[in-house]
Amino acid sequence: MPQFSLYEEEHHPSPWQRTWREFRASHIAFVGLIVLGVFFFFALFAPLVAPFDPLQQNINALLIPPSWELNGTITHLFGTDALGRDVFSRIIYGCRVTFGTSVLLVIIAMGLGVTIGTVAGMMSGVRSSIVNHLLDALMAIPTLLIAIIIVAVLGTGLVNSMWAITLALTPQFIHYTRTFVRSEMKKEYILASRLDGANAWQLFSHSILPNMIEMLVVQGSVALSIAMIDVSALGFLNLGAQPPLPELGAILADGLDVAYLAPWNVALPGLSIFLIVLAINVVGDGLRSALRKRVSH
Amino acid sequence: MIRILSRYIILFVLTLLVLAAMSFSLAYLFPGDVLTNLTGITAQNDIQRNALIKQFRLDSGYLVQFGYYLNELFAGNWGYSFISGLPLRDEIGLALPATIELASYAMLLAIVIGIPVGCYAGLRSYTPADYGINSASMVGYSFPVFWLALLFILVFSLELNIVPLSGRISLLFDIPDKTGFILLDILLADNIDRSLAFKDALQHLLLPTLAISTITTASMIRLTRRSVIDVLNRPYIAAARSRGLSRWQIFFRHILRNALLPILPLMAIQITTLITNAMIVETLFSWPGIGNWLIQAIYQRDYPALRVGMLAVASMVITLTILIDLFNRLIDPSREKYERATV
Repeated sequence: MPQFSLYEEEHHPSPWQRTWREFRASHIAFVGLIVLGVFFFFALFAPLVAPFDPLQQNINALLIPPSWELNGTITHLFGTDALGRDVFSRIIYGCRVTFGTSVLLVIIAMGLGVTIGTVAGMMSGVRSSIVNHLLDALMAIPTLLIAIIIVAVLGTGLVNSMWAITLALTPQFIHYTRTFVRSEMKKEYILASRLDGANAWQLFSHSILPNMIEMLVVQGSVALSIAMIDVSALGFLNLGAQPPLPELGAILADGLDVAYLAPWNVALPGLSIFLIVLAINVVGDGLRSALRKRVSH
Repeated sequence: MIRILSRYIILFVLTLLVLAAMSFSLAYLFPGDVLTNLTGITAQNDIQRNALIKQFRLDSGYLVQFGYYLNELFAGNWGYSFISGLPLRDEIGLALPATIELASYAMLLAIVIGIPVGCYAGLRSYTPADYGINSASMVGYSFPVFWLALLFILVFSLELNIVPLSGRISLLFDIPDKTGFILLDILLADNIDRSLAFKDALQHLLLPTLAISTITTASMIRLTRRSVIDVLNRPYIAAARSRGLSRWQIFFRHILRNALLPILPLMAIQITTLITNAMIVETLFSWPGIGNWLIQAIYQRDYPALRVGMLAVASMVITLTILIDLFNRLIDPSREKYERATV
């Protein structure tokens, strides 16, 4: 009598499960994910975490050092700035503005890039070649230059600088999507669905997109770290977010005036930008090597 | 060969034309008077204004205007700055070499350090040494450049006081501008103590170059490492090994050459980042380069300067990119389209 064998039952983990398993095996990547998670939590729940209003000025508490220094108080964990605003609250809200904006930007750029890239990849001939070359040219123009031009045309502000960064990020997504779609279109499973009568949209949504998601996640992490640095750099140069808005780069630029008196006003916002970008890069790198190991095993 | 060359020349000319058209349209897009944006001259009275309109063909169609604009660009009349009133061509002629100088030293440093270290990490892949180099490059890659430059200033200039804070060279040295590149100018200058001036200029160069090249070096290390690891897994390395070649022979004949090929097009992308970083760092170190100049121009809303500055920087970057691309295509004709390596 055939018995149900409990232990010999084969279990095939799904590709995502295998990726997760490989990802978890790397401790550094996992720590990066936790750090990123903490910052994401800060960004989402800034009003709950921050002890003070980031814009509230307090003339009784100007330039108080951080709590670990001799003169610091625990009420102001990271000290206060030249206007008596609590640096910790400003950084928490700054994470919200900078990190949140970057995530939004990457999603917009990804949507645009995948759409245009797929169309360019499915087309062929002259049109594709023109799109190709124009994009490569656009990709070569430095972000800062695009930002300066857009600021000159539309004026300063976070939203205007977002346009500039989206413009700078999109070509990369277009490029990778186009290359990917072109190489996939030559494969036989696409030919099979085509013989079954699938139209272009069905080909894209059922056959190409599921295979492309991994590439998009990896490219998205690269783009996210670039977007973070660009948003804060423009804020720092006073071309992006304008001073009262707590944006990490703008906070850093504010602190620059009192850098010699109160170095924590420069060090801490910069450190948090650095930590977020580092966490994004570590997670992206871990993800990439997990995907690579999953394929090679 | 000729086909490739002509293709690239057409691409180059077309891209520059598109850029020129963009720069022309900026005169209309910027706030304010089109005529002033285009020329940089504020007309004092109606007679002068009408004369200028006639001269710049503003009364004809857009195409005629654009044709005249191109003509003027080639003739070297780029208009005047709002703020200084100087011809923009002279200002850019001073500022652009300073940026090129800074960026090329940073790139040189990145190549000299990045490629050997990357090769070492790739050859010793998945050992503690490799993990150490990889983590260090990850940290270097994540620095926001403005913060890194500020840290350098705080530590090396203000605390330790070993390097100067800003500028290209001490005011004590009177270096006439010949090439625009400070080190070359010192060599060409007369009546000064060259070795002292050289030392001073190098001290001024140190911090900005380090700040820019940290990021570029880090990405260079990562690219090289990845590329070397990819090449190591190829069958021809196993074949070379089985033929009994020594490690060095395999490295120089097979690994290095094949590993550097996919890095080259990526260097083209690095240039964009490099120039952006150079532009940001220039503002912090008051380096009289194009980035500093452009950012001052945007603070003062100097529209003619922005219009031409954008054209100059974009053309420079695109020329470099296309040249690298062409070079890559020429040394590796087997490649249909250049592919990008992964990090």
